[in-house]
Amino acid sequence: LRKQRRTVAIVLGVCLSLAACGQPKESGSADQPKRETIALFTKNQTNPYFKTIRLAAQAAAKALNVEVVDFVPTKADSIPEQMSQIEDAITKRPDAAVFIPVDSVALVPGVEKFNAAKIPVVNLVDRAEGGEFVSFMGCDDYTVSLETARYLFKKMNGKGNVIIIEGMSGSSNNTKRVGGFKKALEEFPNIKLLASQTGKFQRIDALQVTDNLLQAHRQIDGILAANDAMALGAIEALDGANRKALVIGINGTKEAIDAVKAGKLLATGDCDGFVQGCMGVMGAVRHLRNQPVPKEIIFPITVFDSTNYQGADVPYESRNCPPWEKIVKE
Amino acid sequence: VKYRLIGVAMLGIALALSSDAFLTVSNLLNVLRQASLIFLSASGLTLVIVGAGLDLSIGANVGLSACLAAAAIKSTGMLSMGFGAGLACGMAIGILNGLMVTQLRLPPFIATYGMLWMLYGVNYWYMKGDTIYGFPPEFRALGSGNWLSVPIPVYLMVAALLAGVIFTRYTTFGHEVYAIGANAEAARLSGIPVGSRLILSYTVSGAMAGLAGVVYLARLNSAEAGIGDALLLPAIAAVLIGGTSLFGGSGGLLGTLIGAIILTLVLNGMNLLTINTNWQPLVTGMIVLLAASVDSFTRRRTESRA
Repeated sequence: LRKQRRTVAIVLGVCLSLAACGQPKESGSADQPKRETIALFTKNQTNPYFKTIRLAAQAAAKALNVEVVDFVPTKADSIPEQMSQIEDAITKRPDAAVFIPVDSVALVPGVEKFNAAKIPVVNLVDRAEGGEFVSFMGCDDYTVSLETARYLFKKMNGKGNVIIIEGMSGSSNNTKRVGGFKKALEEFPNIKLLASQTGKFQRIDALQVTDNLLQAHRQIDGILAANDAMALGAIEALDGANRKALVIGINGTKEAIDAVKAGKLLATGDCDGFVQGCMGVMGAVRHLRNQPVPKEIIFPITVFDSTNYQGADVPYESRNCPPWEKIVKE
Repeated sequence: VKYRLIGVAMLGIALALSSDAFLTVSNLLNVLRQASLIFLSASGLTLVIVGAGLDLSIGANVGLSACLAAAAIKSTGMLSMGFGAGLACGMAIGILNGLMVTQLRLPPFIATYGMLWMLYGVNYWYMKGDTIYGFPPEFRALGSGNWLSVPIPVYLMVAALLAGVIFTRYTTFGHEVYAIGANAEAARLSGIPVGSRLILSYTVSGAMAGLAGVVYLARLNSAEAGIGDALLLPAIAAVLIGGTSLFGGSGGLLGTLIGAIILTLVLNGMNLLTINTNWQPLVTGMIVLLAASVDSFTRRRTESRA
C-alpha cells in the first residue's frame, strides 16, 4: 500500500509540474493586444436549442476575434451546478459573461457574484429576476406562442377541436407559452379546447398523452405543443393511430424544420436561436469596446411554415452572424 | 398477485363506468402498448431485484443504447446493425454492473448508481446536444406498427414475459436466483455459484434495457441524450407495485406486468377523464405504498400462522 501511495504521489507531482510548465508566460505577451474572453452560460447539453446558441457564439467570437468559453451543467438545468460554474468562471476572470439562467429566480445570487467581481453580464433568453445587467436580450415566449397559435387557427378556418400539450408546469416559459395559446383561443370563439395536459417538454410524455387523448376524442383537428420535441412526439402518436391533425410547435429546431419540409408539422414559431447567440456575444464585446448597447432587445418572431422554412434550413456551422445594426434599429 | 389482479379489475371497472372511451378495443391496445415499453425495461430489473440486487442504470442504459442504435442505423443503413449495437451496448453495461457487484464487491446501489452517471456522461459527450431522427418505416414498425391489429411491442412484451416466467419457474438457474435473493450465504454454502448467477442476472437486465432502448427509438423515431432519463423511476415503481420485494427472494415477472399496466392505466384514465396529469406522480406514489402495505400485511399473517 505504501508503495502505491508513493506512486500516486509521484504521478501527482509530475502532473502538477507539467501543468505549471503548460501555463502561458504572462510577461512575453504584454506588447500584444489581449483577446477578450467571454464566458457563455447555457442550460444543458441535451436541448439542440442551446447547441445552436453555442455555435452562434463561436461564429460571433471568430468574427470579432474574441474567445468564448462554454459553461454547461452536466446535469441538465441544474441550479447548484450552474451556481458553482459561475464561481469557477469568476476565478478565471473573463472580461464579460453572457448568461442564460437555468432558473430565473434561484440564480440571482450568481448574478450578484458577477456584479461583485465587476464582470459585466449580458442576460440572454430567460430574464433573471435580479442583479445588474448590461442588457437583457430575449424572445417574448408569450407573443411567439400567440402568433403561432393564431397561424394554426387561421389554417383551420377558425373552427374545430384542439388540444394543448403543455410543458413542465411551473416553469416560466411554459406559463407564458400556454398563456399565449389560450389568448389566441379567446380570439377564435369557434375553436374548442378539448384538453390541456402536460407533456413535461418531453417527446415520450407528449406521445403517450396524445395517444390517450386520441382515444378520448373522436375528432381532433389541431394540436398545440409548447415545444418542438413534444410536437414531434404528438405527430408520432397521430401516425401510430392513423389519424390526421394540424400540429404546431415552438422553437424552430432543425428537426422541426425538417418535419415542416416533409409536410408533417404545420409550423414552428421561434426567435432565431442563432441570432440570439450572436447578439449575446456581440453585445458583450460592444460593451467592452465602449460602444452603445440598449438595455433591452426583444428579438423579432418568425413562424416557420412550408413557405419560409428555407431561411432556417441552413446548417448552423456554415452560418454567419447578422450585422448588429440589422437587429438593433435606433 | 391475486390482490393485484383485483386492483386492476377495480381500476378498470371504475374507468369503464366513468369514460365511454376507456372500454374500447383500440384504447385497451393503446394501454398495452404503453405498458409494454415500461415492462421491457422493468423485466430484467425484476430478475436483479429478486436476486436481492438493484439496477439503477437502466434508464441511462436505455438512453445510451438507443443513441448508439440510432447512430448505427444512420451510418450503416442496416437495421440489424442498430439492433446489434443497442443490444450489445445494453448487455455490456449489464456485464460491467455484474462484475462491479461480484468482483469489486460494491453494493449494487452504489455500483449501478455510479454507472448511471458514467453513462450520462458518455452519452452527453457522444451526442453533443444533437438529435438523431428519421428512420425507415420497417424499423419504426417495431415501435408503432401492428400485426393482426395488435401493436408489435405487445408481442415483444408477451415474449419477454413467457421467456422470463419459464426461466424463473422451471429452470435451475431461476430457482438459484430466488435462493440467492432469499439468503446469499446459505445459497453459497449449498453450492450455488452465486457470483456467476448474479453476473448473469445483471446481464439480462442490461440486455433488456438495450432492447427497450431500440423499441423506444422505433416508437419515438428519434434519439437524444436524455431519451431514457425519465424511465428509471416508473420501472422501479412497476416492479414494486408488482410485489417484488427489494429484500430479494420473492416476487416475479407476472407481478411486474400488472405493475406496468396499473401505472399506464393511471395516466390513461387521467387523460381520458381530463384530470390534470400533474397529480399522476402523487397517485403513483400512493399506489406503490398501498401495494407495499398489502404485501407486508399478508406476509405478517402467513408468518404468524407458521
